[in-house]
Amino acid sequence: MNVVSKKILFNEPLTLGSGEMLPGFELMTETYGELNQEKSNAVLVCHAFSGNHHAAGIKEENAKPGWWDELIGDGKTIDTEKYFIVSLNNIGGCHGSTGPTSISPKTEQAFGAGFPEVSVSDWVETQKLLADHLEIDCWEMVVGGSLGGMQALQWAISYPDKIKKAAIIAASSKISTQNIALNEVAREIIKKDECFHNGDYLSHGETPSKGLKAARMLGHITYLSESNMSKRFGRKLQDPLTKMDADINYEVENYLQYKGEQFAKTFDANSYILMTKAMDSFDPAKNFDHDLVKCLKSIQAKLLIASFDSDWLFPKEYGLDIQMSAIKAGIDSTYIELNGEYGHDSFLFYSNDYSVALKNFLNSNG
Amino acid sequence: MDKILQTIVIDWIPDKAKVVDFGCGDGALLKILAEEKSILGYGVENDPVKINGCIKNGVPVIQQDIDECIQHYRDMDFDVAIMASSIQCLKKPRNAMQNILKVANECVITLPNFGNWELRAGLLRGKMPSSVQLPAKWYETKNLHLCTIVDFEELCNEESFNIKKKVYLNNKGASSWLTNTFPNLFAAEAVYLIG
Repeated sequence: MNVVSKKILFNEPLTLGSGEMLPGFELMTETYGELNQEKSNAVLVCHAFSGNHHAAGIKEENAKPGWWDELIGDGKTIDTEKYFIVSLNNIGGCHGSTGPTSISPKTEQAFGAGFPEVSVSDWVETQKLLADHLEIDCWEMVVGGSLGGMQALQWAISYPDKIKKAAIIAASSKISTQNIALNEVAREIIKKDECFHNGDYLSHGETPSKGLKAARMLGHITYLSESNMSKRFGRKLQDPLTKMDADINYEVENYLQYKGEQFAKTFDANSYILMTKAMDSFDPAKNFDHDLVKCLKSIQAKLLIASFDSDWLFPKEYGLDIQMSAIKAGIDSTYIELNGEYGHDSFLFYSNDYSVALKNFLNSNG
Repeated sequence: MDKILQTIVIDWIPDKAKVVDFGCGDGALLKILAEEKSILGYGVENDPVKINGCIKNGVPVIQQDIDECIQHYRDMDFDVAIMASSIQCLKKPRNAMQNILKVANECVITLPNFGNWELRAGLLRGKMPSSVQLPAKWYETKNLHLCTIVDFEELCNEESFNIKKKVYLNNKGASSWLTNTFPNLFAAEAVYLIG
């Protein structure tokens, strides 16, 4: 598999949906496989809330494989011998693309809390500029799970003739009240960290890692299923030699502590807030009198909507809701419900049914 | 689906119709209908293997249980609803029949006739009958509510379903003097256009 990592600079100012402007921006990208001569084999992979451009392969020694390495690669579900896969870190993120930790040309300091609000539509606009840069006129497929699935849906709505297929996995056309509530608790935990300084922690030389860690611990629970947690940890006690903290009793506590801490080391608090806000505000139907059917009418791409049975964060009703509206709108759309062990996170992992469905969809003709 | 049966069904469906096929299998019928009649078709299927067949065939499909979902298909402006050899697999076929006529203006229903002489002969021998249309063993069959042509038409009568067209086919998929004169005895399959 041919892996190319590249940071691409876009010099033109970008006006965001909020009306605010970025004077220019950078996108951190990774591509896998080769673009064919007709430039007709390109697949865009959109990352979820805490994901990034590193979707597949192992870059450096001891580095982790990409977040979708189980599905992207030579001979895999999204076959890099056949397709040219483009993955990127979205703006507002913290893995190389322009975001709150980048230096603002205006103030010559990190944007921090001053980074403009971004939306799923803004991401799609930047991804369109990336497609133009790569001279890809039309994606064979845009695919993503969770917040990534929302980007795939937005692509189909925003650029009907620039995308042939959209795979919308473990996603929804808007998140529920409960989802917004959970995001708000996470944001509150971060903001109440004494090192947060109203988001200007970088200029104070500090990071609100305690808040970020606790927010991630809460989030992590919502990404897993109850049965998976029970199966994996049960009520097993943590080995005293590997306890993260003296107060820990159970394995599950240690696991969350560890995961939270790892996350806090690599993620930016302002990005966390920004990304959750983008998720909260995603609602493409709001520009169509809150009528999802009207909103989907212009779609020319084929849709594959997939939900996982153990996902309680984005339950199957969300996927079905898009599907039923798609039928009313008279567009080509398929809905499947997959068995997933891991709750919402199931979209990240290979399973036979999941892989076969996605592969058949990608390889199917008009 | 048998070729002759398929020809009849295709013939009854108007060009460019919006069609839903409950129990669509691997989407073969919808695929042909899309090619030959430029229909906009959706399949409803609950078997993951068959669903993957639909995806491979490029046929839009919804993974759902017909008994549970059929009423949600009412306001979708379907011109035709198809239920081909599916009705006997449902938990509540009467409910499904009541709903399917609210889903679309016209419905195409095909069903295996349990009154066919071969099946009666099987029962006379004291065995659960099997045939080309009903090949599964009693412990493997997905059929829950088998009926005869007389039974089905009685239900249509009770519910005031208007049978616009019907064709009776023998076990070779052909219509004959025998199947038309004594359908409940000689037809292996019946096809209805109900509206």
